[in-house]
Amino acid sequence: MHTKKLWIFAGLVFLLAPCVSRGQAPSVTSFEKLPDWSGLWSMMGGTVFDTATQTGKGGVVTHGVREHPPYTPAFEKIYQDHLALRDADRFPDVLTNCGVPVGYPRILNLPDAYEFVVRPDIFYIVTENGPNTMRVYTDGRKLPAKEDTWGTYTGVSVGHWEGETLVFQTVGLKGNRDNDSILDRTGLVLSDAGTVTTRVRKINENTLEFKLVIEDPKALSKPWNVTKQFRKSKPGLFMYDYGCAENNRNPADTVTGKTMVLGPDGKPLN
Amino acid sequence: MLNRINRALWMALIIPLGMVTIQPVLAHHSNAGFDPEAVKEITGTVKEFQFRNPHSWIQVNVTDAAGKVTEWSIEWGSPNQLGREGVRPATFSPGMNVTIKFHPMLNGSPVGGFIGAKMPDGKILGKWDAGE
Repeated sequence: MHTKKLWIFAGLVFLLAPCVSRGQAPSVTSFEKLPDWSGLWSMMGGTVFDTATQTGKGGVVTHGVREHPPYTPAFEKIYQDHLALRDADRFPDVLTNCGVPVGYPRILNLPDAYEFVVRPDIFYIVTENGPNTMRVYTDGRKLPAKEDTWGTYTGVSVGHWEGETLVFQTVGLKGNRDNDSILDRTGLVLSDAGTVTTRVRKINENTLEFKLVIEDPKALSKPWNVTKQFRKSKPGLFMYDYGCAENNRNPADTVTGKTMVLGPDGKPLN
Repeated sequence: MLNRINRALWMALIIPLGMVTIQPVLAHHSNAGFDPEAVKEITGTVKEFQFRNPHSWIQVNVTDAAGKVTEWSIEWGSPNQLGREGVRPATFSPGMNVTIKFHPMLNGSPVGGFIGAKMPDGKILGKWDAGE
């Protein structure tokens, strides 16, 4: 009897060994069970999270549901200061000078085309604008310990599949630590303590939905729920490279923070 | 026969242009310098169409009643996005006479955010009637 159990145990070890040796958990979802999110996608709605803040001179008016983050008093003040600078044309978008990753969750807030690449071991968000790449590891690994992260624009993301819904957590975000990472050009920011839980699924054949629960004990008084949706583009379209510095006629003045408009001769027009 | 082919070619070119939707022009940077409420219109000669990232620019020479020529810079979307909607580098060819509607800059500089254009054959590119 004992011998039979021993053989069964040995058999299981033999079957699972290849997975363990590659650092994979046996629960990785196989390719044929993953949803088809191929093709190009474009973000629906404006490139801001809080559409109610699009006020003032020079603001773009986009209609939608107000998703003002439940800021703590300290971060509400930061936000209001940013809005005032924005209205005075003294709050340059950090993307204006081309060179930093857009970060998470702002990567869900961009114009131009998106690709969502689904593989058993990893999920990629590839944006034409930037360009930017975000990786979500779905190979069974665990999130790194806090002491093993050091704050980056996009952080570290680990996820798993629940049927055809991808669920992932993002940690290690740098937030506003270096004043070079914002969530949109109204000046929304998080702190370096922010984490995000994201659920992604198709809500119909042509719409992909990201539902985010953003938590940040420094910046938020309670979890902030955000939804972003993407519409599938018609088939056969191409995605191109995007040289942000190729013909950037809108650099920011490093002294005043004003976004400049350069003429064709490179001299400021404003 | 040749006319019919020409007409078909023009339709193939113009129909997609008419379907172009206006993307957020200033997605790459703050748009505080433009007046979203104001709409201005100019008619002039295309000098250059800079179909390059992050935004495309239409350079248009406009001659006033006194004969003075001013070069306007009209900012539009990324060539990637516009290209997927049918716009091409040759859409605005040098020497082409066009009328363009745009949101002007608050400080009066000869710069604008593209709304729409009336092409030499009268076709509309972008938006026109609502002045949006």
